[in-house]
Amino acid sequence: MSATTIDTMAALTGFSREAVEELSRLKGEPNWVRQQRLAAWAVYEALPFPQRTDEEWRRTDLRALKLDRLRPFQGFGLDGHVPAALADPTDAAATVTAGDLNAGVVVQQDARTLRTEIAPEAAAQGVIFTDLDTAFRDHGDLIRQHFMTKAVPSDFGKFEALHAALWQGGSFLYVPAGVTVELPFRAFVRATEAGGSVFSHTLAVLEEGAEAFLVDAYGSPSLDGQGFTSAVVEHVLAADAKLRYVQVQDWGRNVWSFMTERSLLADDATLNSLHVTLGARFSKSSIAARLQGKNSLAEMLGIYFGDGDQFFDHHTWQLHESPYTTSDLEFKGALKGSARSVYSGLIKVSEGAQKTDAYQQNRNLVLSRTARADSIPNLEIGANDVRCTHGATISQVEEEHLFYLQARGVPRTEAQKLIVEGFFRPVIDRIPVEEIQGFLESAIARKVGI
Amino acid sequence: MRERRETMSETSTGIGTSNGHGATGTPMFQIENLHASIEDKEILKGVDLTIGQGEVHALMGPNGSGKSTLAYVIAGHPSYEVTEGSVKFFGEDILEWSPEERAQKGLFLAFQYPTVIPGVSMANFLRMAVTNVRNARAEAEVAAGGEAKPMTPREFRRLMKEKMAMLKMDDAFATRYLNEGFSGGEKKRAEILQMALLEPRMAVLDETDSGLDIDALKVVSEGVNALAGPGMGVLLITHYQRLLNFIKPQHVHIMMAGRVVQSGGPELAHELEAKGYEGLRAQVGAAV
Ligand SMILES: Nc1ncnc2c1ncn2[C@@H]1O[C@H](COP(=O)(O)OP(=O)(O)OP(=O)(O)O)[C@@H](O)[C@H]1O
Ligand SMILES: [Mg+2]
Repeated sequence: MSATTIDTMAALTGFSREAVEELSRLKGEPNWVRQQRLAAWAVYEALPFPQRTDEEWRRTDLRALKLDRLRPFQGFGLDGHVPAALADPTDAAATVTAGDLNAGVVVQQDARTLRTEIAPEAAAQGVIFTDLDTAFRDHGDLIRQHFMTKAVPSDFGKFEALHAALWQGGSFLYVPAGVTVELPFRAFVRATEAGGSVFSHTLAVLEEGAEAFLVDAYGSPSLDGQGFTSAVVEHVLAADAKLRYVQVQDWGRNVWSFMTERSLLADDATLNSLHVTLGARFSKSSIAARLQGKNSLAEMLGIYFGDGDQFFDHHTWQLHESPYTTSDLEFKGALKGSARSVYSGLIKVSEGAQKTDAYQQNRNLVLSRTARADSIPNLEIGANDVRCTHGATISQVEEEHLFYLQARGVPRTEAQKLIVEGFFRPVIDRIPVEEIQGFLESAIARKVGI
Repeated sequence: MRERRETMSETSTGIGTSNGHGATGTPMFQIENLHASIEDKEILKGVDLTIGQGEVHALMGPNGSGKSTLAYVIAGHPSYEVTEGSVKFFGEDILEWSPEERAQKGLFLAFQYPTVIPGVSMANFLRMAVTNVRNARAEAEVAAGGEAKPMTPREFRRLMKEKMAMLKMDDAFATRYLNEGFSGGEKKRAEILQMALLEPRMAVLDETDSGLDIDALKVVSEGVNALAGPGMGVLLITHYQRLLNFIKPQHVHIMMAGRVVQSGGPELAHELEAKGYEGLRAQVGAAV
């Protein structure tokens, strides 16, 4: 592509049908992909912007987000080198992705894929792990079947439709029936320019009895000028499939981040997910597990730590649509500075989903007088033979705890660090992956020290 | 009222003068006319107490008389305000020091009600405490021309194992969260484990005997006795003579209504056991 094209694109701000067409043209996409994008664009245009009267957006102030000043995509002109930050241990997201042992790696920078790799042993078993452009080109059938059709349909909502029109990268994982891959597949999404948008997509399809471990890490330096990202994550688990999923959001402080994740679980499928929210100026995550098959199980863990003027919003749904389904959710967050967080979670048990066992817990530790946490747990139960438990707490570090540690010679600041780490410890202990545990420990220590 | 107080402070100072002096002539630990309040309510109303190097003193007194308050004030609890008086440790006024500084300089308090801290493992916490206290001590030694010897993680683990074995504590305690789900007696044992690891020069043990079964009492007492001696002075707060059969104090003090009202030798504890506080109450005044 010519330098002129890049300049033209750099000048293009705001989202438009032209931008969708231009993106598709630059990517050299076949007609069906282009049509799919344009159809989504039409949906985006038809849907109203979320209002604060909508329950899900009630505590979310979008007024400062200036969509019309953003470039819809960027970064086609870069050469294909791996970002230096991948080797920079201070970059939390990079640390997770840069682990030595991988079953595969996909690195996306802005709208461009820099690297895709898959371990030969995995590829030999028919596993696919690649960037989404390649997946659209080489695995059209699987994509047509799963991409924004069932888990997160392209008309799911305003931001999801925009994503379907402008998706630019991300990863596709496909594990055939009966195949188990123990090492993690890692996808890394990085943004390098202020004023730009990143739409990354994660699609994981696990066939019957397949097992895999997928890590998504989002990161960027903190830049001047607004950044925008709208990610969609889709997990499709066939019967008896098992997916462990870890997502680390460590965007720069200029970024407005939206993320919608839906997991579909068939009979006896198991999802173990962990969402770690550390970065961004504004971060809204919508996370749901649909337990569609009987005996399916979702463990949903979350850790968030806000400082400065960060705003985090986590909405979770535990959707029990079949009998004998289990969900176990634990989200824990700490807030310092004048950070704010909203957690809102719904356990919904459909009619007929007897013997549901659902647990939901959200705990918040508020570390300063100007920080604030809100927690809104909800139950909606349409069956009579179920067990549903939920709880929420918002607390402060207790002076008695600090004093006890100080009385043993531990300085107050270190005592505070120990207590905060201790607050997160039970969640950390639930993730049986040493590397992730180590990453979480240092991420928390870094946050406490900010 | 004033007259009575003078008599009493004379008694306790008397002990200090006769037995309480360290090699330098300064008493190791000296509380003078200590007044302290919580939420504007005065609890300590002029405490005088002197402990010489390596001495064991027992502090007894009815419920609510201010024993734990005294212990907290010595440890530097932020809820208490000292309004008058002084507490000196090797001649230095400790009241300006932060709680951690007091611990680093060799003061230790075994809590009557140890705090549960979720998510913080015993081993992690102990390593942090030992490292901080040892580093501070090493710095002081270097400043005094000595040699600093930092402890390796391996040495720490060995030391912890050894002390846990001495207190007959199961290894599993090391990985458990601090005091979480510990039984009453286990908590008390864990307090003494901390003391054994931190090797203080002065330990205040607040009802460490309560909640201990008779075997545990023996084990814990042995732990204390192993450290008590020239290197460590002890202030033993207790309600029962029983403990004093195991850890033998040279001096016994009785606290009432925020003051030390009587001091004597070990026989005082026996007397109390036989007669209770009633007689003493009458003796020191109806106000008490
Ligand atoms: N926060 C507080 N507000 C008001 N009064 C308090 C507070 N804390 C302690 N006190 C009071 O101070 C007094 C002394 O309490 P302290 O715990 O020192 O007694 P103690 O001698 O250790 O008793 P015990 O033998 O029962 O352990 C008590 O009357 C108690 O109620
Ligand atoms: Mg007490």
